Amino acid sequence: MHIAEGFLPPLHAALWTALAAPFVAAGVRRANRLAREKPQAKLLLAASGAFAFLLSALKLPSVTGSSSHATGVGLGALLFGPSVMALLGAIVLGFQALLLAHGGLTTLGANVFAMAVVGPWVAFGVARGARWLGAPLAVGAFAAALSGNLATYLTTAGQLALAFPDPASGVAGSWLKFAAVFAPTQLPLAVIEGLLTVTIVNFLREYSGDELRALELWPESPAVEAR
Amino acid sequence: MMAIDRHAWTNRWRDWHPAEKLLPAFGLLWVAVVLPPLTTAPLVLIVAASAVVWGAGVPLRALLAFMAAPAAFLVVGAPFLALSLDLSAGLTPRFSPQGAGVALTSTLRALAALSCLAFVALTTPVVDWAALLRRAGVPSGVVELILLMYRLIFGFVERALAGRRAQAARLGYSRFDRALRSSGLLAGNLFQRGLTRARWLEIGLAARGYRGELRVLREERPLSRARLAVAMLGVGLTGLAGGLLARALS
Repeated sequence: MHIAEGFLPPLHAALWTALAAPFVAAGVRRANRLAREKPQAKLLLAASGAFAFLLSALKLPSVTGSSSHATGVGLGALLFGPSVMALLGAIVLGFQALLLAHGGLTTLGANVFAMAVVGPWVAFGVARGARWLGAPLAVGAFAAALSGNLATYLTTAGQLALAFPDPASGVAGSWLKFAAVFAPTQLPLAVIEGLLTVTIVNFLREYSGDELRALELWPESPAVEAR
Repeated sequence: MMAIDRHAWTNRWRDWHPAEKLLPAFGLLWVAVVLPPLTTAPLVLIVAASAVVWGAGVPLRALLAFMAAPAAFLVVGAPFLALSLDLSAGLTPRFSPQGAGVALTSTLRALAALSCLAFVALTTPVVDWAALLRRAGVPSGVVELILLMYRLIFGFVERALAGRRAQAARLGYSRFDRALRSSGLLAGNLFQRGLTRARWLEIGLAARGYRGELRVLREERPLSRARLAVAMLGVGLTGLAGGLLARALS
């Protein structure tokens, strides 16, 4: 769920950009370090970013008949870890604005914060928690993707609520309003994304052993460690 | 997506220096976001749209197609700004005139900003951003990552479409559960192929002495100060007219 170009008041747009910037900068440092250690890491990162873009452009089967898009937030966090995901997510969101007209340049900061910072960290935390509880990989992947998607959607609703507080009930009422408006599409979508992520993780575990081992660059990746 | 990229590569202004297009577009975006939308936004919308259609020669249909999906988001979202929820007396939505005002101004502002985004996206290919990003202090490693990603995206899309067609021909999308499974298989497959592809690229580049930096020959495109000045003047006049109109009306 992207916030459209120019929809946020200028002050909010600037503030969210400032909030997202340190996370992206940390991602840049991480990616630079990886690239210095192994030159091929850059190509691997580029392929992963292109994949993330594609995943977000892939139309998902949706219950209501309308087609919807996955965020890829959970899968990205599982495969690459949340800090690199902030950088990849920021680039992907920029591409989405310029190639697909999803989101925008002034709202890039807000969208990065919801989709490339909050979502991946929540997904990563949930995956970690699931593994700590001894849950099977499929359950962990499902829970991570589901919660990553939901966290992103609730954050976006919060950003809209802060920008447009309700005249009577303030930010809280407005948040409830925005969350409710998008719930009919977002809740089924989150479940579908969870199921899809499980299918992808299963496929990769079965057929992509070599490639996943190449991803040892991201040692905290649960998908790799669970092998 | 392919259409947007195609217009970016084939429009009449393609060979201009990117700064001549990006700086005015950002200026216009700034004007649209900062100045009072009620008067400025329609002006910005007109200026940006005519620059795209008459200036760069991009068909009006392409511009409308670009703006259609985000405009739908705005149309769905905006009416809810005009509704007010009173939490104290149970959940009763009621119409609020103040909210309606906010809805109108933010929708106008977003539409104007969207036309600036369309101007950027339809006249300037992503590759042309590179020099500007470097100048803006983005690390060269990141700029290179962006260019590599851009290069890989189109191959990915082609394979995704072919894969989807093949799956659909085998009834892979005939039921919800099958569609889900097919999507998962397709995505997993594409990821695996993408990694293989990255490795081939890496081997090929390593054989040519790749040390983490891609050197390519770029076309020289001299910056026309006259064109840039005219464009910025246009942006300034748009902002001035919007601001003055707003003052006159208030």
